[in-house]
Amino acid sequence: MKIFRLSLFNLKRNKREAAAIVFLTLVTAFLMAVFAVSITQINSAFDRAFEETGSADYILLLQADKYRDIYRDILEEEYNINDVRESSVLYGLAASAISKKGESIAYNLIFVTESTERKIENFKKLNALSDDEIEKLSHPIWLPQYFEITGGFAPGETFTLVSGGRDYPFTIAGFYSTGLYNSDSMLKCIITDDDMVLLSAVYEEYHMIAFDTEGEFSHEEYYEKCSAKSNENVSSIVLPIDKDRERLFETNFLNVFLYMSVFLSVVTMISALFLILHKISKDIEEQMVQIGVLEALGYTSCELSLSYILEYIITGGVGAIIGGITAAAFSPVMDTLTRGMMNRDVHTDVNIPRILIVVILIIALVTLFALSRAARVKKLPPVVAFRKGIKTHHFGKNILPLEKMRHSINIRLAFKGIFNDLRSNIGMGICIIAAGVAVMFSVYTFDFFKSGYNGLMGVMGMEMSDIGIVMMSGVNGEKFCDEIRKFPEVEKVLLTRATGNYVEIKGSNQSAVAISYADFSLTDNIRLKTGRFPEYDNEIMISAKREETENRHIGDSIIIKGDVCEKSYIITGIVPAMNNNGMSVYMTEDGYRRIRPNDRPNTVEITLKDEKDRPAFTDKLTALYGASAKDAAYEQSVRGSLEERIRAKADEKMAVLISQYGVTDVDYAIRIGDTVISGNSSRFVIKEISSVKDIAKSQMGPIAAVTKTFSFWAVIFIAVVVAVILGIIAVSAVKRQRREFGIMKSMGYTSRELMIQLTLRILPVTIISSCIAAVLSVWVQRVFWMAAFGVQIPESLPLMIGTAVVLVLFCLVVTYISAGKIRKISVTELMTE
Amino acid sequence: MIPILRTEKLCKSFSNGAAQQHVIKNLDLEIMEGDFTVIMGASGSGKSTLLYALSGMDKPTLGKVFFGDTEISGYTNDQLAVFRRKNCGFVFQSIDLLENQSVLDNVLTGAFAVQKNSPELIKRVKELLAKVGLDEKMQKKYPNQLSGGEAQRVGIVRAVINEPKILFADEPTGSLNSAAGKDVLDIFTGVHENGQSIVMVTHDIKTALRGTRVVYLRDGKAVGEHRMAKYGGNDPKERREKLTAFLDEMGW
Repeated sequence: MKIFRLSLFNLKRNKREAAAIVFLTLVTAFLMAVFAVSITQINSAFDRAFEETGSADYILLLQADKYRDIYRDILEEEYNINDVRESSVLYGLAASAISKKGESIAYNLIFVTESTERKIENFKKLNALSDDEIEKLSHPIWLPQYFEITGGFAPGETFTLVSGGRDYPFTIAGFYSTGLYNSDSMLKCIITDDDMVLLSAVYEEYHMIAFDTEGEFSHEEYYEKCSAKSNENVSSIVLPIDKDRERLFETNFLNVFLYMSVFLSVVTMISALFLILHKISKDIEEQMVQIGVLEALGYTSCELSLSYILEYIITGGVGAIIGGITAAAFSPVMDTLTRGMMNRDVHTDVNIPRILIVVILIIALVTLFALSRAARVKKLPPVVAFRKGIKTHHFGKNILPLEKMRHSINIRLAFKGIFNDLRSNIGMGICIIAAGVAVMFSVYTFDFFKSGYNGLMGVMGMEMSDIGIVMMSGVNGEKFCDEIRKFPEVEKVLLTRATGNYVEIKGSNQSAVAISYADFSLTDNIRLKTGRFPEYDNEIMISAKREETENRHIGDSIIIKGDVCEKSYIITGIVPAMNNNGMSVYMTEDGYRRIRPNDRPNTVEITLKDEKDRPAFTDKLTALYGASAKDAAYEQSVRGSLEERIRAKADEKMAVLISQYGVTDVDYAIRIGDTVISGNSSRFVIKEISSVKDIAKSQMGPIAAVTKTFSFWAVIFIAVVVAVILGIIAVSAVKRQRREFGIMKSMGYTSRELMIQLTLRILPVTIISSCIAAVLSVWVQRVFWMAAFGVQIPESLPLMIGTAVVLVLFCLVVTYISAGKIRKISVTELMTE
Repeated sequence: MIPILRTEKLCKSFSNGAAQQHVIKNLDLEIMEGDFTVIMGASGSGKSTLLYALSGMDKPTLGKVFFGDTEISGYTNDQLAVFRRKNCGFVFQSIDLLENQSVLDNVLTGAFAVQKNSPELIKRVKELLAKVGLDEKMQKKYPNQLSGGEAQRVGIVRAVINEPKILFADEPTGSLNSAAGKDVLDIFTGVHENGQSIVMVTHDIKTALRGTRVVYLRDGKAVGEHRMAKYGGNDPKERREKLTAFLDEMGW
């Protein structure tokens, strides 16, 4: 009991420090407990929500015109999958829709009918209009929960699709819970059979295969088998999704935030432990005579050590327990955050045992550190303690003697002070390094996301053109590009292929999407991490993630398997790439043709001088090169003369043939009386117009906004932690050196000079720590982004230096302000004590 | 003689909760240049409080303190610090040396507050230290390695190194044995002989005998004054008797 009272006495005496330790352990326990509870719960919450939908685990969408029944048969025969469900669906790549705010946003949309939906899953309806109300709707649409949570839509509101300058308004019948297709990457909408027919002229038709399988299912192996039996490159015509991929899409960023939180908790834990070590040292130093008296009165050194340890078990324990309770109470908030990030109603359980483990671990850590430092009391027998410890005697070398001083006395005295408290400075250095790394990492992240999704687009590893045109087959791409280049609005035109050109890499279980350009130096958004662009047909670049995961490097050979042959390439460069799950490969147009000789580029990527010209220029292209064949197919009535109406009808028919049946050339002649109206399909150059930027905006915009906010608050939070630590150190230094400062005041040193001295004492350690933090932060950033997204975000040396300088200045300002306590030291009181 | 320090209606009070304690009451006092003024009085009479008010260590509650013609009682704490460094030296009873600094550095810390580093200054500091019996070897020592008398000698050298216009001492021999005390007082006498103005608080007659003027305080008021010739005259006995008589008269 007497020991407990000693601890309480110390606590009362140092309320500020005790409060700081409670705060730091509280934050640590909270962040760690949230991490410990959520990191597995998020996945299990997804799994529970997924199970509730009754969704198939795997869905493959294959281009309808290239689908063969053999693909289904392989599943049944070679994988023993008996309940393969099939249907027809529509897929809109970068389909434009009007957002709640009235802006045009691109989504990758899948359209299915209710009967198809019931083949895939249970069709679990959520917030919806009544059946009577739905009955009255002419174009009802059921949207996945994504549109309710992220999109902000409500039942009964209009959801408008836009294609070829035409609006397709639907009324939202309600929202439903879907197992797959509920993330930015792809969203599934349920429409009526009639609307399905209507939209079939607008969006691409795909054949859906949905199935479950007990064992492992390798997409690559399956595609290989399909390709072998059909002589079709199946990987280039399939859009796969499965439970694991969906989980990754929905939880990836949430996991990133959790890892960032645990990183912050490490910073706060290091700070708390440093503070404990620092405070026990100083307390023992300060209370040395008192310790001697107590020892003389019969207290054992163990008892006295225990009083210090108990103090921190109390403060650390209170902080850890409150942090644990807060983490448990945070569960509903976490559910809300998870709902927002995963776009589905999820519930995470409060895992009390895990929270308890975190709390116990923190208390154990605090006890261990306190024990290690409090053991110093044992080295202080009463006589030594009365003499204020043998260490206050100096038998060593006089460091920085004043007689050799060349600059200001304040600087000299400050630097002498550093060596008097070297151990504390080292501890403080470690704290600043940890905090500095976290601050710099957060600043880099904030900087990266400060202009929204633009930062992410920069590391996508793909060209971000303003307009992407998929040409009709048979169109001469080069010629078309030349024509487009002549428009004054156009800055750049590149010829490439639409995405989805999967290739196999020998010795790798990760297939790749091949991205090809005639000349990579003309691209803006494909940036090298190291090496150079491929120039010859036997050269290739790989993604940074592949470099990391497969240990392939510049100069290595890599064998790419095409449809009928495999070729060897030499790696010339590494590209940071987030797209295609960070597994793209990059080769020249000639290089690509080595494995697929008959495959011609079918996509024109147009970059405009002014992005704002995009709608007008799209209209211009439509007018000149015919509406997108799909849009034209939807033309229903055209006003004008009989001939105009006949031509419009003929165009519509041709468009249907081209877009839905794969017809490449159509000629027609219609005789009406003496008049012959003729035409051909040559005006249909454009098969589809889309914008990669729009889809990037819809997919990455919300993520960028959340990350930016998170990193901003992380910087503020760490700044508070640093301020608390430095403040306490400064105040404790003033308290400890009150007598020394008083003597110096009597000699005529002003409070300001003494505050400067105290501030300058931390300058070297702050500068060194900030430099180390700057170097480490670059490494941490590289490791983090590579592990999370397979990319390396650009590093800005000025930003790094700027942040380090601000950190140093911040530390100095906080210390200077906290050292203001020196002003309160009264020389008179000190001298008359 | 010209007054170097002057007080007008000087009052100093301390509050302890609701209770006010008036330590110095409407004190008018002049300290003359070149004088060795000794302030005496019973415990609690306000000796040290007066010393700190005169030296700018503390601000008066009411009244004024003039240094020459300049009023210093209105100065801010930092202005007072600058005033002290330029004009004052201090020697304390508790021998307040900076424990983490060597003997030489203790003196230099005081010196560099005013003067720039120069070989001449270092030489003078070393000479002064040697003069008070602290040789090169001692100069490298730290306060904890010194005896009380040695430490106080360091304190005196530190106080006089900037050639202050006035030297304040608060019971400088209070914590020393008689032999060490005598050595310290001899140094004070030597300094005074060189023209240094000194204000010293003491309750020791032997110490007070070194002064040229004794001011007696009672309840915060100067109730008597006794003048003496410079120390070291031919009749120390008479000097002592006169001072004792004065103090008896004051009720000491």
